Amino acid sequence: MHFPWWYVPELTSPMLIALVAILHVLVAHYAVGGGFFLAVESSFAYRTKDQEYLDYLKRHARFFILLTVVFGAITGVGIWWTIGLASPLPTALLIQTFVFGWATEWVFFVIELTAAFLFYGFWGKLPVRLHQTLGWIYAWAAWMSLVLITGITAFMLHPGRWLEDQSFWSGFFNPQFWPQVVARTGGALLLSSLYVYLHVAVTEGQGRLRDLVENRSARPALLGAILITLGGLGWFALLPESARAVMSSAAVITVLMMLIFVLTAVVFVLLYVGPYRNPGWLSPGFAGALFLFGIAAFSTGEYIREAVRKPYIVYNKVFGNQIFVEQVPELRQNGYLEGGVWTRAYVAARYPQVMNGRSIDEKKLLELPQSDQVKLGEVLFQYHCNDCHATTRGYSAVGPLLRGWSRERIQHLVEHLDEGHFFMPPWCGTPEEAEILTSYLETIALPRPAGMLPARAQLERP
Amino acid sequence: MMDPQSLVNTQYPNQLPAPFWFIEFFKVLGFALHAFPMSLWYAGILLAMGMSASGHPLARRASWRLMRQMPLMVAYGVNLGIVPLLFVQVGYAAVFYPATILMAWFWLGIIVLLIPAYYGVYLYGADQRQTDEPVSGWRMAAGVVSGIFFVVIGFLFANGFSLMTNLGAWSSLWQQQEVAGATLGLALNTSDPTLWSRWLMMFGLAITTTAAWLAIDGGLFGRGEPEAYRLWVGRFAVLLYLVGVAVFGAFGLWYSLAGWSVEVQTRMWYSGWVVLTVLTALSPIGVLALLGALVLRGKPLGPWEASAIGLAQFIVLLLNAASRQLVQNLELSAHFQPWQMPVALQVGPLGMFLAAFVLGAVVVGWMIFQTVRSLGKVAPGEP
Ligand code: HEC
Repeated sequence: MHFPWWYVPELTSPMLIALVAILHVLVAHYAVGGGFFLAVESSFAYRTKDQEYLDYLKRHARFFILLTVVFGAITGVGIWWTIGLASPLPTALLIQTFVFGWATEWVFFVIELTAAFLFYGFWGKLPVRLHQTLGWIYAWAAWMSLVLITGITAFMLHPGRWLEDQSFWSGFFNPQFWPQVVARTGGALLLSSLYVYLHVAVTEGQGRLRDLVENRSARPALLGAILITLGGLGWFALLPESARAVMSSAAVITVLMMLIFVLTAVVFVLLYVGPYRNPGWLSPGFAGALFLFGIAAFSTGEYIREAVRKPYIVYNKVFGNQIFVEQVPELRQNGYLEGGVWTRAYVAARYPQVMNGRSIDEKKLLELPQSDQVKLGEVLFQYHCNDCHATTRGYSAVGPLLRGWSRERIQHLVEHLDEGHFFMPPWCGTPEEAEILTSYLETIALPRPAGMLPARAQLERP
Repeated sequence: MMDPQSLVNTQYPNQLPAPFWFIEFFKVLGFALHAFPMSLWYAGILLAMGMSASGHPLARRASWRLMRQMPLMVAYGVNLGIVPLLFVQVGYAAVFYPATILMAWFWLGIIVLLIPAYYGVYLYGADQRQTDEPVSGWRMAAGVVSGIFFVVIGFLFANGFSLMTNLGAWSSLWQQQEVAGATLGLALNTSDPTLWSRWLMMFGLAITTTAAWLAIDGGLFGRGEPEAYRLWVGRFAVLLYLVGVAVFGAFGLWYSLAGWSVEVQTRMWYSGWVVLTVLTALSPIGVLALLGALVLRGKPLGPWEASAIGLAQFIVLLLNAASRQLVQNLELSAHFQPWQMPVALQVGPLGMFLAAFVLGAVVVGWMIFQTVRSLGKVAPGEP
């Protein structure tokens, strides 16, 4: 509304955020947990004078840096890029509110980067104490960056007292902050053990080293799983009611919730019976399976964390269709097309006949030829619905959702958008706009499948 | 033709979390800091490939040194790029988001190209041989592809930032690739004459920075290299700098004569700001003179000389960043005046950032100092 809308056919542009974000978190958590792995384990190897383990850790550090410093860091920038493109209003809000949180996070990135390069680059050339200190500085700086970004992302799910006082600290220490910090710390520990297993199983033959790694990394993994569970429970307990309701209302989310429990349980059991109780089991296949289950659980979790926010992007502040909650009454009165910078400009350029000076005369919308009404209905769809729905095909496409619906039913849905489904925003336009959006939806609604009995005409006794 | 003003959203954001000068300061300083390493991959990688292909053993050695340092440069350069981008989004949201959304796929393309370009740099530098021998074909290919990707990335950035101030083009770019008022994100600002001149001007500037860096590296980190190399690299840096100045001068002139509107020209040439304009234009010549004088002594550069060149080149980049900021504000002023937004100062968070900044500087300084001290020699600067 404030900004132009980016139309990505079939996928919808916000789904790109989910895609990039999942790619990123799978590496970013390793960037934190792997830091602790390297710090703890290199200290252990120094203490036990285990040169073979130290050599392995150096090789692991190389893999770690190549993955986290390049892919991890750039996909992180990539999320920032994508949210600005596909969800500009909430992004602007987050930046305005938390610019100094981000700037502080950036300082920790610089510390991380420097510590990582020194730790790996001068491996074996530094006094042991200094080398260990560098490892620990890396780990804590990385964890601090996790804490900082968690405050900002958790804010979206539940801004807490910020809604009243607009204070940075209220927003940062929101109700979801601690649960998510605990869960993400656990995620970092668990995921990094899975990376370690995969790496050691693929690069090292069977033998003492592999058993050692397997055994040492089982505890942090199990601890991680416990933290994820605790954090997850806190997350659930402190969710806004609407978010908890989404989980039981939307079929997809319910299935995904089940999936995440099953996947987490599988990972836990595999870890317990495998590395923890029976060191020596770790084969590339076993490690690969663990890893796949782990990232599947993780991706699902991230997806749910995003999905339960509907209809909001920032709870009680920004709706999924890129408007502020407080704008709704004005938009319903003066019009959705009128309220958007780009929609108003579009109408003014294409349909000067409906303009009354600089603003749109809503009554005149219905005097336009039908094809133009449909066109403007499509504009409404782009700016009011495309955040969550593709058009005729693709992600939650409305064409199939409206299969067989009558015009009256469609119009009723539009005018009472949030009644049947609280996870949709309320209708934010005038009655005239509801009319033209309905006309557009009618053109893309699929017909009732042919051949179904009893046919419409046979419903009543002759 | 739409009135460009009608596409500017002034409803939100409508206030700043810190005074405008503060945002501007970090934006300009951050960009100048970013521009140093950025120049090395922008112009440096392709130059290094050429130097390696030339067969000249000393050129090969210089190329090898530069490419060994490149992963670090990319890491810190990207990291430093976060600062100006963060502050541009704070102060210039109303123009930043529309411009990048109109070219969304290309803007996202920056990330898509950056990942392989960055890995290409690692791949190229993974070669442990410390020789002047030619690199293998596939390694060369990785370097060339990376270099080209980085140049394309520069082009996309130039598109985004020129479109940010080219409000007059928004409506036609929007309408050329629009679906019911939504953009397909496929616009490029190629019809804007300032795009080409500023992209190439920046390339010229990047050549000068690469030249300066080769000299700095020879005097600071390359003191273990043979004397013949250190003498050669100084002379080569002067020549390369000269080429850079020529490119920068030619495209800079084109940019400021053909690209600037009458208002911008009036302010940049015919007001007190002319001092800044002239300094920006002439400062590279100053560095060239300094470099030339130091090299002409016939001795290899030492750490002090190298540091002086580094500082001087940083001033060049800083002047450039400051002038560009001024021009950007002038170009926008007809439609958008962020400096007039009210300020709702976030005292505590600002304090947190400044405290973290100082702490970070101390920790980073401590780590480097301890490492260098315990190595007993200057860090060779390689991961
Ligand atoms: C914040 C996201 C969001 C927005 C914005 C949104 N919807 Fe939905 N909508 C949903 C979700 C989630 C569902 C459930 C989809 C499912 O079950 O697959 C849904 C379901 C629907 C359905 C199916 C209803 C049913 O009873 O089966 C229709 C039709 C629909 N939306 C139309 C619209 C239209 C038209 C708009 C714009 C005016 C819109 N939606 C805006 C999220 C949204």
